[in-house]
Amino acid sequence: MSDPGRSAAATPGVLPSAVRIFDLSLGQMLWSRRSVFLGVLLGGPVLMAIALRIVDTLHASGFKVNGAAIGGSAIFGMMVWLLFIRFIVPVLGVFYGTSLIADEVDDKTITYLFTRPIPRRSVLLGKYLAYLACTVLLVLPSVMLVFFLIVPIGGGGIGEAFPSLLADLGMLAVGLASYGAVFALVGTMLKRPLVVGLVFAFGWEPAVLLFPGYLKRLTVAYYMQALVTHEMPQDSAISMLLQVFHEVPSVTTSLLCLATTVALTLWLAGRAVERREYVLEQ
Amino acid sequence: MAGLVVADHLSKWYGQVIGLNDVSVTVPPGITGLLGPNGAGKSTFMKLITGQLKPSKGGITVLGEPIWQNPGLYTRMGFCPEQDAFYDRMTGLEWVTALVRLNGVTDTEAGAMAARAIEDVELTDAADKKIGAYSKGMRQRIKMAQALAHNPELLILDEPLSGMDPIARRKTIRMIKDWGRAGRSVIVSSHILHEIESMTANILLINQGRILAEGNVHQIRDLIDEHPHSVHIKADRTRALAREFLGHDDVLSLKFEEGAVVVQTGRPDAFYARLTDLAASGEHGAIHEVTSPDDNLQAVFQYLVKA
Repeated sequence: MSDPGRSAAATPGVLPSAVRIFDLSLGQMLWSRRSVFLGVLLGGPVLMAIALRIVDTLHASGFKVNGAAIGGSAIFGMMVWLLFIRFIVPVLGVFYGTSLIADEVDDKTITYLFTRPIPRRSVLLGKYLAYLACTVLLVLPSVMLVFFLIVPIGGGGIGEAFPSLLADLGMLAVGLASYGAVFALVGTMLKRPLVVGLVFAFGWEPAVLLFPGYLKRLTVAYYMQALVTHEMPQDSAISMLLQVFHEVPSVTTSLLCLATTVALTLWLAGRAVERREYVLEQ
Repeated sequence: MAGLVVADHLSKWYGQVIGLNDVSVTVPPGITGLLGPNGAGKSTFMKLITGQLKPSKGGITVLGEPIWQNPGLYTRMGFCPEQDAFYDRMTGLEWVTALVRLNGVTDTEAGAMAARAIEDVELTDAADKKIGAYSKGMRQRIKMAQALAHNPELLILDEPLSGMDPIARRKTIRMIKDWGRAGRSVIVSSHILHEIESMTANILLINQGRILAEGNVHQIRDLIDEHPHSVHIKADRTRALAREFLGHDDVLSLKFEEGAVVVQTGRPDAFYARLTDLAASGEHGAIHEVTSPDDNLQAVFQYLVKA
């Protein structure tokens, strides 16, 4: 047996520790029950795209919204905005973000991580990075499948639309990063983070976006709007009304605000994890 | 040498519930047993020692430094928690390696350290099996492997023998004693006295959030001897014996059982001396058997925690 303390090393820094937590957590996250749920969730748009493609093949007259013909790119744009950005990304953010630390607490494995010579905030950061990798790895292929199925509808060219796909993929990654960070903070600060997260994503954000004023700046969706590359059909009265209030920040402003949001919320979440006591149920 | 763990008027409460109440204690180097019934405050004390909880009042230092928000200290200590929780999909070797990597060593070093620790806990044959397939005893030992893999000066083991079969229990006790002999200090908790007794003579008795007694087992016995002590005497003429006992002021109470009299005495040494004389003289008939429910550490422990 070796001499006690012989191999004791200096305390690793936050980033190297986070990378090791990332290594430890990614496999756990990819093979978790939550990822099965994620797979089912992401299968929805793909199935929808397959159905639309079949309908388009059987009825070659194309698709119309309020009488206006729309091409595959516009349908894809709507699917990205309505299904992915407004629904799937916030849902993933809520379910994964709020559980970054809570899962380890519920499984009573947090003790192993908190009794190692690493800053506690690196546990949060590493798990956040694992969340990001896991969701990006699963979401982006689904979006690409939808793209290849939908864009050719109405004679759209994949080659022409491909740059916008790359922009969409980047936007989705930014959305996953932003919502994940916000809900990581919610998960570390509040006792019922899931409920609060769902209310924020599907109550607060859609409601505030409808009205003029500054409150909408307290949403992630407001900044995400600026990153949408697709033109949406504006044929209905509600769409016209919304257009009046449509106030979208520039791409640069949005990216800066979202980056600041990610950095600030992660810093606050890390601070909360450092200070909080986790009492495991016996 | 200064204490490994020094608690100074340490208290911890969870809302209205007191987990630990004004504990001041110094844990010396070597193997120390933390003994108390379930809910006594052992786990709270362990969590304070391992920096998982922040003291509500008072302070605690481990290896000379405050432990709360001091992750650097974990390079010098290893903790085996009570809960049976793992990443079940990982093999034992993968799990220990992944945790040792968090100590800042390279992947190669981590693998070698994990393999060595797994060998120390005699699990090498099962190192590549999923932890989910391990028996309870193996799971306890792999938890210990992760605690000792980085060669800590201080090992903290929370109920390490819980759920083990007798053979695994014996092996684990031997291992803990070996670690102590190798120069490690170990704090081990249990609610079963003979388990602790088999590992060390140095114990801390804890109940209702307070340290009831600390020190060597013999010192604990001396402490006990200052308190009422029961003696169960099987004899032919129990009533005659009882009359004899009542003539002495150290006898606090008497009760009769079938063929026996149970005496509670405040001075066991004097009582035993007189009883020996009585048995030798045969003055009150034959005395067949003398036992004391207090004459073993289990009873001492039970007595103290009831006090």
